[in-house]
Amino acid sequence: MIKVLTSGLHTSIQDLGRFGFRKYGVPVSGAMDLFSAELANRLVGNPAHEAVMEITLQGPILQFDCHARVALTGADLSPTVNNKAVSMNKDFMVKSGSILRFGAPNYGARCYLAIAGGIDSEEHLGSASFCHGISPKSQLVKGDAIRLRSQNPLDAISHASVKIEPEHFTSSLLKVYPGPEYHLLSKEHQKRWESLSFQVDPNSNRMAYLLRTEEPLFAPEILSAPVQPGTVQLTPSGKFVVLMRDAQTTGGYARILQLSDKAMNQLAQKHPLEEVRFGFIDN
Amino acid sequence: MKPSIQPFGENAVLVSWEAIIDETIHNRVLALERRITEKHPNEVLETVYSYHSLAVYLKQGIPSKSFIPSIETALASLDATKPADKNHLITIPVCYEGKYALDIEDVARYHSISLEEVIRLHSQPIYKVYFLGFLPGFPYLGGLPEVLHTPRRDSPKSRVKKGSVGIGGNQTGIYPMDSPGGWNLIGSSPLAFFDPKRKPPSTIAPGDFIQFEPITQEEYEHTKTLVENGIYLLHKTPYHD
Repeated sequence: MIKVLTSGLHTSIQDLGRFGFRKYGVPVSGAMDLFSAELANRLVGNPAHEAVMEITLQGPILQFDCHARVALTGADLSPTVNNKAVSMNKDFMVKSGSILRFGAPNYGARCYLAIAGGIDSEEHLGSASFCHGISPKSQLVKGDAIRLRSQNPLDAISHASVKIEPEHFTSSLLKVYPGPEYHLLSKEHQKRWESLSFQVDPNSNRMAYLLRTEEPLFAPEILSAPVQPGTVQLTPSGKFVVLMRDAQTTGGYARILQLSDKAMNQLAQKHPLEEVRFGFIDN
Repeated sequence: MKPSIQPFGENAVLVSWEAIIDETIHNRVLALERRITEKHPNEVLETVYSYHSLAVYLKQGIPSKSFIPSIETALASLDATKPADKNHLITIPVCYEGKYALDIEDVARYHSISLEEVIRLHSQPIYKVYFLGFLPGFPYLGGLPEVLHTPRRDSPKSRVKKGSVGIGGNQTGIYPMDSPGGWNLIGSSPLAFFDPKRKPPSTIAPGDFIQFEPITQEEYEHTKTLVENGIYLLHKTPYHD
């Protein structure tokens, strides 16, 4: 069992998402950075769909009441076990009685913790992903206990490690496709939008990232239509909204761009006030 | 009536007809949705649709562009397809009184009609459920009489209680869960509209028809007890429009 001593800023359980219920208005959810979440599972020998812990910027303090083989991927939030630094992107053993905690973010915004054998988490509509209105809670809180599905023997470390391309965290360029209402951008902006720079608004969350830009961009409302994670909406008042994993399934704002799958994962690792740009994907 | 077909990111295709609320267009959306999901279970992950468009989300490894010909083929033979035939008419009990109808007086005043008239006009039509969106289980309904069209409230409420029935512009709908909201609340239903433990999780399905039935506050409390104990019998009958 792993006890949550403090919850951190926003810590939740996520898997690859909840599928088959979007027509009922149910968000997809799942790890914000799917690439890093899958990698964490791979490092401890889990299948990709296993549930992991998603840790955002300010990490929790976790107490292990059993041995566990774990891996941390995604953001480097200065993790320590019993105050000794541990490596990112490599599996390691946490002994029973140890405390895992996090410090200052070195790079990235979302860290993933995978445990060999998986977390024994309740599924709702076929997925363990936390989501407001679907799962009983939307984040882990102090006092929660996470049960492991299997016992982890002490000698099971594979010492597998992977090297991560730093551009996953450092590149400010997000590759996109034109969205269904790209044509609603003014001719002028269709020429220049790739040179505009955007700043991540601190009010960004798992539902949407809000982006600020100095250039005023607008688009009229549309008749409600399907949206998905990665859809970039432009509102009549000039708000730039990138829908993330917990987004609603339909929306009434112009869908001017659609992020590539890779760009979704990259944006999920951006801090508040970080700069991003968009560029069309080369076909 | 020829829709546009375009890739919607890496793993989805979007089919869009003219952007209007129209039964004929919506029937084609539904017919295409059914045809595509029946014919291509190995490629189609799931679908989402609205009044006039259909998003086909594809399984991993199936590029958007590769699926466009399948949609073109399905569209070409769609004319013969009849509109959906397994739809239902669901009766939704609604209390339009007191604390269950916080804004009904504002709506009546806005249109210079009586409360009874608001209730009569709202509970008379048979509404079509075009699609679900905004919140899990939130129905987008067509058929609100024009005399009840009422602008959204200037300041949205931070918490609209689940079951609330509202009017926003030319639309009426039911909040299936607590949520912030800017619609005028004219009543409340004691039914549970969304429960992740049920299959399907939503009481109302897209393509269904619904009618509101006015009930008293006593009937509301009684029905609520039945619902909470799992012994309420939903009034649901096969229906064609």
